[in-house]
Amino acid sequence: MRLLPGLALWTAALASAWSLPGHLWHPAQPPPFPLHALLLAALALVAMASLPPALVFLAGPSLARRRVLSALEAPPDLVWALLLLAIWPADAGPPGWSAWTAVLLAASVPGEARWLASALPVEMPFPHAWGPEATRASRFRSLRRLVPRWLAARLPIWLTASLVAERVLGLPGLGSDWMARMEGRDHAGLAVWILAFALLWIAARPLEKAPA
Amino acid sequence: MKKTLLLLGLVVATGPAQTPPARMVQEAFLADPGPLDFVRGEGQEQFIAQALTGDALVGLSAENRPVPRLAASWKVVPGGLDLKLRDDARFTDASPVTAADVAWTLQAIEADPQASATKRAALGDLKASGEGLRVALRGSRPAARLLTELWRVPIAKAGHGDMGSGPFTLLRSGTEWTFTARPGHFLHPRIPGLHFRLLPDEAGRLLAMRKGWLTIGVPPPQPGLAPPSGMTELVQPTLAQLVVWTGPGSTPGALRALAKWRGDAFPPALMGRAYAPAKGLWPTALGFPELDPAPGKEICPASLELAYTAGDSVLERQLQALAARAARDGVTLKLRPLEAGLFLDQLTKGRLALGVITNVFDPGPWSVLGYLEQGGDLNFTGWADPEALPLLAKLGDPKSPAWKELQALWARHPAALPLLDLHSVLWVDRRLELQPCALGIYMATPGAAGWRWRE
Repeated sequence: MRLLPGLALWTAALASAWSLPGHLWHPAQPPPFPLHALLLAALALVAMASLPPALVFLAGPSLARRRVLSALEAPPDLVWALLLLAIWPADAGPPGWSAWTAVLLAASVPGEARWLASALPVEMPFPHAWGPEATRASRFRSLRRLVPRWLAARLPIWLTASLVAERVLGLPGLGSDWMARMEGRDHAGLAVWILAFALLWIAARPLEKAPA
Repeated sequence: MKKTLLLLGLVVATGPAQTPPARMVQEAFLADPGPLDFVRGEGQEQFIAQALTGDALVGLSAENRPVPRLAASWKVVPGGLDLKLRDDARFTDASPVTAADVAWTLQAIEADPQASATKRAALGDLKASGEGLRVALRGSRPAARLLTELWRVPIAKAGHGDMGSGPFTLLRSGTEWTFTARPGHFLHPRIPGLHFRLLPDEAGRLLAMRKGWLTIGVPPPQPGLAPPSGMTELVQPTLAQLVVWTGPGSTPGALRALAKWRGDAFPPALMGRAYAPAKGLWPTALGFPELDPAPGKEICPASLELAYTAGDSVLERQLQALAARAARDGVTLKLRPLEAGLFLDQLTKGRLALGVITNVFDPGPWSVLGYLEQGGDLNFTGWADPEALPLLAKLGDPKSPAWKELQALWARHPAALPLLDLHSVLWVDRRLELQPCALGIYMATPGAAGWRWRE
């Protein structure tokens, strides 16, 4: 996407957040930002950003047609979270943030891997005929172009997946914060969120450039 | 099989959260209470935090009678109340609670544009003054009303809106809220404290209760759901009602039809123990007689539109039952879900013909005045009647005959009609002894300070 239309889109989103219509009956103060969840979210983001591309790099476009991936992709986020909670031993106490990470990865990685694998160009007959090194190079170049766009497009979806896990496991983090600011009509807080997304998009743009 | 192994692997790989100290009461907030703030704080969870960490001047007992809290005694005087504060009440920094703190709290709520709307409504034009331990409260509201509304306003230390003098101190740590008992507090809390997690999801909360991770919890409103063996069900008759407001374009015939349908639209098998069809116009639990709305001969229109806040599955189910009942009388009741903020915006701007909200009344007849007073917190549609003003001035006593006249006046052209009475259903650990109350288990005096573990 070119810079100016993209910036116009983000500016419109920012204006919408700032001027979100409606008001609450008994407006409450927004909750404090979940600083405790930042490091965990960053680690989870690194895992989310690296696991699916790594899987796709190793397995290639054929991964999109694997039945096991379909089976793992089918259950919604809520089911993964409830399943983990149901089989969690009662004596161990409520699950913590590592459980949240596990639910997030289990719910998202299969779908993300399929998304990336489907977007890869076909490898038959070429570059397959040129050998494994050429195939790997082709995948690497394709993924290098794909991953920044994929990250920018999927971040809000991951935030939603995180919200589900946070609500079921009782661990409020970034997803809950986003939702609480939306529900509480915290215009300034929402605008900061949109700004953060926009900055991420701007930061990811140089990565989209085709290698020389 | 592979999936099962994967799941087992996940369980082994993920560690448990830090286990809180034993014998603390384990509880769950349904929403984040936000920062503790006795001036700006709003919402049920925030008020629970304030009830645990703060003291109002006058509390309400489980029987809804005014009882001493920060005020050791009071005297009704012309224009208000004279109170004498306890000499052993201390804020968390050990400083004594004085008249200056009371005056500052009331003044801050009045002056701060972001102050809690609920507290503003509870205080009205009340002003506080005094010195040392003597406080004078003056305003236009009758003393009997003040005594039933002061429980809503815990007193903060002057200049520190986040510091109270209550029986527990709060420590928020990431995703957990721990309230620890203050040993020297005058209410003598008998439990070591309470530990809250945020569990907004019904299914997650239900699993947590079944695993024994919660001492108290709100079960999902499913009929036939039984508490786990270690817990017992507590049903508290509250003063909450599901109320339908009428806007421009709705006719008295529609209100009469809704009043008729509410009686048999909600089968108990669908609603569970938390709901019962409402009767009359104002809560009968407050002593109001049952009156029919808007007498007349206009018939109900063939099609009505009823707006509600989207995302509440229980409310949706209830309104679908109402729509099914309306269909039996040949009326199409169109349900229109709206986002909460947009819903209120449209309701207050008079763009909704019918809109539904849940309201919790205070345990005094004055709480219905929000429907009638100009700018009242329940007067969304600008209800007014020239005959109401002289009657409003005569409501000094809960037994005043003016109440009857006022209700008859409202019944002629009401702006709202209750559909359902709501009860609070809780599951409580059998080992914990607590007292149910119309205000809820936290808001009454002594509240959580009066709970104890059965040995």
